[in-house]
Amino acid sequence: MDANPIVLDDVAEDVVVVVVEGEHDIYTAPTLRERLDEAIGRGAGVVVDLTRATFVDSSVLGALLDARRRALDAQQGFVVCVGDDVEPGVQRILDITGLVPVLPVVNGREEAIRTVRESNGSSRP
Amino acid sequence: MTITLPEVRMTMPARPEGVAVVRQALAGMADAMDFDAAVVADMKMAVSEACTNVVVHAYDDSAGILEVDIRAEEEALTIVVRDHGTGIQPRPIRRDVPALGLGLPLIAALSDSFELRGSVGEGTEVRMTFRSMRLEDPAAENPVTGTVGSDGRWDPEAVRDSPGGA
Repeated sequence: MDANPIVLDDVAEDVVVVVVEGEHDIYTAPTLRERLDEAIGRGAGVVVDLTRATFVDSSVLGALLDARRRALDAQQGFVVCVGDDVEPGVQRILDITGLVPVLPVVNGREEAIRTVRESNGSSRP
Repeated sequence: MTITLPEVRMTMPARPEGVAVVRQALAGMADAMDFDAAVVADMKMAVSEACTNVVVHAYDDSAGILEVDIRAEEEALTIVVRDHGTGIQPRPIRRDVPALGLGLPLIAALSDSFELRGSVGEGTEVRMTFRSMRLEDPAAENPVTGTVGSDGRWDPEAVRDSPGGA
């Protein structure tokens, strides 16, 4: 069993949720990019859930920012979410890089899905 | 009684899978020294970024070596991440690994002190020190500035939008 899984969850039926768990860095970033590409390919907007991620570095942020750009180019919503029990180190890198409003990052998967649905098809900011 | 403080040297191929190994060794030493959890988190991040820089920037193939020295002091850990590669490069050597360019700003923001040595053709050494307990957040003194640019790389001069959006 993979200790650091990245899986696509389509329980929202339209918006695809990319669930990132465990530690992720330059070694797993290519897999994350593949999963994000697959999610964008489905065409209905993407949520990346970092609630159960225990470590993410700038390789992961780079993958998320690239995916965000591609999603927006395709007029799809793109939102990252964390939960109340987000790992402090994960919240720390999001905060000190100022990427919370950029990606953007919201609290909770349901809020993220709602935000993506609202922004699907809207023009790029 | 004289206590011998631990000192560790790790030498491994400069490959992506090695970065987590360094992180785990570091976390083990820091836990044994009763480091504050927030400092451990910052240390893991900064050292990961330094090791990632070696993997991405130091060698034009995957045959190079990554060296990490971890030296314990009374209430601090000093970590030196070293390569014997091409020296400081502004752009990634390995084009198969996209680089955001955020590594050094993060190292500066998360470490209590930080020194970068090296020159073209002579390799690079990043020396970072972390105190077990902090009175001040180093990110307040050396904040990460800028944001991602239109080319997908970090632009330290770029102005961030206000939270409400500009």
